Amino acid sequence: MNEATTQERQHAAAVEPGWSNRNEGAAVSKSQSGVRLSGKLPKRPPGLWRTGINKFRRNPYAVAGLFVLILFIALAALAHYIAPYDPARIDLLNADAPPGTGNHLLGTDELGRDIWSRLLFSGQVSLSVGFAVAFVSVLIGTLVGSISGYFGGWIDAILMRLVDVMNAVPLLFLNILILAIFGSKFSYMILVLAFTSWMGVARLVRGTFLQLREMQYVEAARAIGVSNTGIIVRHLLRNATVPIIVTATLMVGGAILSESALSYLGLGIQSPDTSWGLMLSNAQEFMLLDPLQALYPGMCILIVVLAVNFVGDGIRDALDPRKQPVAERRRWSAWSRFLRSRT
Amino acid sequence: MTEYLVRRFIQSLIVMFLISIVTFGLIHAAPGGPTQIFLSPGLSQEAAKAQAHNLGLDRPLPLQYLKWLGGFLQGDLGYTFKNHLPVGQILWPTVGHTMVLMGTSWLLSLFIAIPWGIYNSTKAYGWSDQTASFISYVGFAMPTFWFGILLQELFALKLNWLPLSDMWAIDKEGQIGDLLLHLVLPVSVLTLGFLAGYVKYARTSMLEVLEQDYIRTARAKGVRESRVIYRHGLRNALIPIITIIGLDLPILVSGAALTENVFNWPGMGRLFVEMALAREYSVLMAITIVTAVLVIVGNFIADLLYALVDPRVQLGRKGGTAA
Amino acid sequence: MEPLLTIKDLTAGFATDNGAVKAIDRVSLSIGKGQTLCLVGESGSGKSVTSLAIMRLLEFAGGRILEGSIRLAGNELTDQTQRQMIRIRGNQMAMIFQEPMSALNPVFTVGDQIAESIRLHQRKRKSEAKQMAVDLLRMVGIPDPETRARQYPHELSGGMCQRVVIAIALACRPELLIADEPTTALDVTVQAQLLDLLQQLQRELGMSMLLITHDMGVAARMADQIAVMYAGVVVETGSVEALFDQPAHPYTVGLMQSVPSMEGERLSELRTIQGHVPSLHALPAGCRFHPRCPHAMPRCTSEAPPMMTVGTLQQAACWLYGDVAAGFAGAPDSDNGEAGG
Repeated sequence: MNEATTQERQHAAAVEPGWSNRNEGAAVSKSQSGVRLSGKLPKRPPGLWRTGINKFRRNPYAVAGLFVLILFIALAALAHYIAPYDPARIDLLNADAPPGTGNHLLGTDELGRDIWSRLLFSGQVSLSVGFAVAFVSVLIGTLVGSISGYFGGWIDAILMRLVDVMNAVPLLFLNILILAIFGSKFSYMILVLAFTSWMGVARLVRGTFLQLREMQYVEAARAIGVSNTGIIVRHLLRNATVPIIVTATLMVGGAILSESALSYLGLGIQSPDTSWGLMLSNAQEFMLLDPLQALYPGMCILIVVLAVNFVGDGIRDALDPRKQPVAERRRWSAWSRFLRSRT
Repeated sequence: MTEYLVRRFIQSLIVMFLISIVTFGLIHAAPGGPTQIFLSPGLSQEAAKAQAHNLGLDRPLPLQYLKWLGGFLQGDLGYTFKNHLPVGQILWPTVGHTMVLMGTSWLLSLFIAIPWGIYNSTKAYGWSDQTASFISYVGFAMPTFWFGILLQELFALKLNWLPLSDMWAIDKEGQIGDLLLHLVLPVSVLTLGFLAGYVKYARTSMLEVLEQDYIRTARAKGVRESRVIYRHGLRNALIPIITIIGLDLPILVSGAALTENVFNWPGMGRLFVEMALAREYSVLMAITIVTAVLVIVGNFIADLLYALVDPRVQLGRKGGTAA
Repeated sequence: MEPLLTIKDLTAGFATDNGAVKAIDRVSLSIGKGQTLCLVGESGSGKSVTSLAIMRLLEFAGGRILEGSIRLAGNELTDQTQRQMIRIRGNQMAMIFQEPMSALNPVFTVGDQIAESIRLHQRKRKSEAKQMAVDLLRMVGIPDPETRARQYPHELSGGMCQRVVIAIALACRPELLIADEPTTALDVTVQAQLLDLLQQLQRELGMSMLLITHDMGVAARMADQIAVMYAGVVVETGSVEALFDQPAHPYTVGLMQSVPSMEGERLSELRTIQGHVPSLHALPAGCRFHPRCPHAMPRCTSEAPPMMTVGTLQQAACWLYGDVAAGFAGAPDSDNGEAGG
């Protein structure tokens, strides 16, 4: 009866109007193709990635998120060509121009710098911080998690205590402390943020390793003499890819938020460079004069992070084979801990 | 129980020791390090040496650390280098201020989030659930300090309903009514931040519980649905929520560096940023250690709560598999 | 005598992304007072859905009863609201489940969980209910019931937990007990003890039992009547003797061949039947068993066979027994599964 009970549980999980079943499972994917082949049994059910892409495409939030994200990346990447002004060009004669004045699409700030151009170049900085941090922390996390999960024993014990300690320390404090001591360079910032966000990936990779270590095909691989690294790369890592990607999207958004926070506190990006957080910091001083100045960069952060999150959720729903509430709860807990350590 | 407490205490001491060493190390690894900063500028080489000697800065690092540790254990947190004020005198009031702000926001968000999340789990994908989802997504994607700035613009500057920042108006220090007025905006910002996570979390953990076999058993017994949820489900759903609460306790005190900065709230988070920018290392050191203590106390309280709610958990060892 | 439980043309299912699926299709069964009906079939044949539908718990699992009638002691269950059902569930009929460890709430003592069942349906004081819970624990053969009543499920073994689950179910002396694979998750020796216990309690309390199992050995030992399900439909019903002597439906025959002996211990998987149970989304036309049936005829691929009388106590839904088309295909005989004794 296992099959039936799983199905029932899946239904209990997705009690929504239309009774749609948002879970992935062999039964469902089989049935989809079954319907398409008008009642005949499919020769071979479509693979995880194929069904995943289909599911992703049917998720409007995820598609919209992806579209918005690509748009922002394109705008940021082409900032040099699109931006009408040098973002750092001070023009006191045209300071605080309202939106639409002359060539200034969104007006100018208190120093007469073109806000639209500054937004574009800020996007460059904020987005590269986001993706770079995600990349570096996935690297660190995967490394630590793999070592921990593969070797186990005292190595595992030490590394996991380290993760515990890192999780217990208020990370914003740690970021502030390090940046205050070592100075705030762009590269430092990426390293510091990555250094404080790799723990989730490490836990995840380690967990996958522990699960898979017991499985038979790993034993089999060992038996036919595949080397340790061979086993890691070929068998184990592949199984952790999807959750890692999902976690990485989380970190992109998180890093963009962190960057804005640190820049706001004066510990991040420094003038004449610019980022959305720095623009916000600047705007707060001139709140009375020009409230819109605070609106633009904040909206940019909000939209980009929202888009990244929707994409991440879309990927999770499409590809993460874990049961939905569990995956969802893990994700929310990761997010909220992240957020709350950075308020 | 006693064994557990002793073991836990020793573990905590080790963690604190490590944290203090790491912080101390970080501070002294800084380019130039405190040696440069502690010394008054424009001193001659010899005078500088003499002053460094007086401050103990020319001694080897481990010795300096031991000296600091000795002072700390006697309750001496050191002095600021700028005005030579005792660190404790600066630090302790901010701890209280932060607790007022964070405690209010945190309790408020819990009181809203848990019942709301649980309600949403019973009407998953209904309008209330969708609203909560919206709040969560936006709350998570929004820089909290930006939300604070927007609220300031609207309610303090445009409408002039609420004070812009600080804890009290200058002439009303200590008045509870004035404090409440000043609390409204920062508490709104922080509550939204907490709420965004908690409401979703409460919902999903309840949904998970409602799928369990024992819920079906309860229904098969003829338990009515409200009792299924609030008696059979709630206590189980609270177990993972308590984990999060325990992990959050330290943040209550370490505070909201950003929100405190936006609203000029004289709390520990703002103090930390200020002191980091001023490189007041003795204060940073003290805050780090105080925070570490609170982390440990928070974890301990979470463990106690755990044991209270989940009979499978006995202090010191966790039995059975988590639901 | 009117049977205690009569199910007629019960159709129930789930709605999914790809439209509704019927997990069970026009299932008809009946159980006489004090009788045991074993519902036998492979995973996914609709046994559990049937039991949940009877309990009206299917709604909570995302399913829905689409058609048909379920009469319990003259009471039409499909017409009851959930509010009315809470007075019937746990009182007039009760259910025990497959996984004893997870069927008990981990945060309450077992005594509390039994006492709750009593207090839901009977006016008893707390202390009275607690005492009754201890008595029930003794009744289901738990040693030192006073101590056990104060313990939590995780402190008990799987077999003990299942005894507790039985105690909960029997707390209000139900007329009908539905047992969904009650022993599948347990060790063989514990299985035998629990089956004995169930049989003994059934005699003592005079209740009827719907026992769901995939294990022909269990069915042979416990059942008065057997109903065999395949892919959501009942393919054969009959008395236990008739069915084991002379299985009529080719699927039942296949099941029997996979039983090593009548007093069989645990069964291994049903390997003798080729192929696998079809997905509910892609059911074959005609008889649902025909792709796997050694005797499949052209007619089987297009027309679903109705229930046809095979012997006095036996009916099968198979064209092998219907020389003449018995009216419209798919209209099952209404009085199948009549109690034998």
